[in-house]
Amino acid sequence: MKKKNKKQKSEFDFCKVCNRNHDEGQRHKYFPSHTNSLSKFFSRFQNKLTEVRFFLKNPSFLRLELASRNRLWCVFCDCDIDELGSSFACQNAINHLASGDHLKNLKHFLWKYGGGMDRVDAFRISQADIAKWETKCKSLKSEAAPCGGTSQGLQSGLSNDIHKEPDYENLNNYEKNTLHHLNSNISNVVMPLQQHTNEYQVSRLEHSGVANVGSNMHVITSTLSVDPCDGTSLWNANNLMEAGGNVHSGAPPPWFEETQGDQLNVQLNQVSTLNKSGKLKLNPKRVGAAWAEKRKMEMEMEKRGGIVKSDCDPNWLPNFGRVWQSGSRKESRKEFEFEKQKQTNVHSLSEMPMEIKPYVSKRMRKIRVFKMRIRSELVD
Amino acid sequence: MSYLLTTLTKKKEIDTIIRDTIDKVLVLRFGRAMDALCLQLDDILAKSSRDVSKFADVALVDIDSEDVQVYVKYFDITLIPSTVFFFNAHHMKMDSGTADHTKWVGAFHRKQDFIDVVEAIYRGAMKGKLIVNCPLPPERIPKYQLLYKDV
Repeated sequence: MKKKNKKQKSEFDFCKVCNRNHDEGQRHKYFPSHTNSLSKFFSRFQNKLTEVRFFLKNPSFLRLELASRNRLWCVFCDCDIDELGSSFACQNAINHLASGDHLKNLKHFLWKYGGGMDRVDAFRISQADIAKWETKCKSLKSEAAPCGGTSQGLQSGLSNDIHKEPDYENLNNYEKNTLHHLNSNISNVVMPLQQHTNEYQVSRLEHSGVANVGSNMHVITSTLSVDPCDGTSLWNANNLMEAGGNVHSGAPPPWFEETQGDQLNVQLNQVSTLNKSGKLKLNPKRVGAAWAEKRKMEMEMEKRGGIVKSDCDPNWLPNFGRVWQSGSRKESRKEFEFEKQKQTNVHSLSEMPMEIKPYVSKRMRKIRVFKMRIRSELVD
Repeated sequence: MSYLLTTLTKKKEIDTIIRDTIDKVLVLRFGRAMDALCLQLDDILAKSSRDVSKFADVALVDIDSEDVQVYVKYFDITLIPSTVFFFNAHHMKMDSGTADHTKWVGAFHRKQDFIDVVEAIYRGAMKGKLIVNCPLPPERIPKYQLLYKDV
């Protein structure tokens, strides 16, 4: 028995999550380092799934050029799901995530590596959701069928990329803005290639294209704003380049595109991490941290031109602790508002128009009252 | 001196500057541009505003303006110049051994004094403190008397 135990212990097992071999057996999943890396592992996959879920909610057509790029590695089933031959974005991925095989693998994974069975629903798509998605897809198809011409524009807009959720409102403007620049770019690339140039020229010209994209990226990094609009405009650039054609028309090869995309992604990620690290530097418990975050978001929105509900009414007062005030600072404001009300009341009282009457002496008043009585008696 | 710094005359302007100064100390000087002590203080503020610009913004408020009387009353400003500090729209107090912790009354003796005070406030605020101790020695803190309210 002992021997068997020893043997079991010495057997090495590969942990996908920690990415290492261990001989700790089933205990391994309770180790803190494993739980840490498991949470990271899950969050990474969850990020990928958010993209899929976006397309689950808003189904859109998939362009053929993008089909090769639109793929998902399912960490639970250890398989690559590509979208070749699917007409909607993430169609195969959605079908896979809803399949029984995936559920089985997912459950096995959760049993083997821990993480709790209650997370099953986070990593799969329910039947109800997929039914909704299918109906949406059908309606989309039927809509697209009669007006094929217009759907082209829609497609190019919607299937932009799943890496960044495009800002549809701004997209058109940005397309317009970038089109001129990119058209010139493309014409530069394409023109000489139609004259059967040798490979040297091809590569050189591609480099010029890359350099242009690179300069764009520099602009982004220097301004340090991960504006989704900027991202989309760049993605358009890639799309347009791809749409330029195939090998014969001199378009850059797909693998080249992908590396560009990856570079861009890396850059964007770097930028975002930079931003995050900038935030992390500040103490989260500093005075008014919550206020600062909230206000920053609002200001960002204002900058983008969005209408923020302006809670800045004319009576707004900042937090203030008054000189003679004990207790919380809210009481200061309450006290002040109370004082203000009192003052306005006093003002209104003092401003009330007083009736000016001639002075009537006490004796005269008595006489008047007496006269009144006599009159009333006479009437009776 | 006041023309070297932004002067606020409207309540709305004060609101905006308090709300939009994020993760920085906001120094609001309440006073009159022509007052002798204010002139001295404004001189120090104007000269050092650039030095503290990474962690503080300085603005002046003209207390004679009709529109800011709300703030003059709310902040209990009885002596000029009075300097109030804010951080992320929260009022920062300073215990300098005088009667009033809510504001700095009077001028600073030199530039470095002002920079020290603002730095102490910034450091305190970054640690989550709403009141800080004055880093200046007592002989360089202006003395004054406050009357208890309604007396």
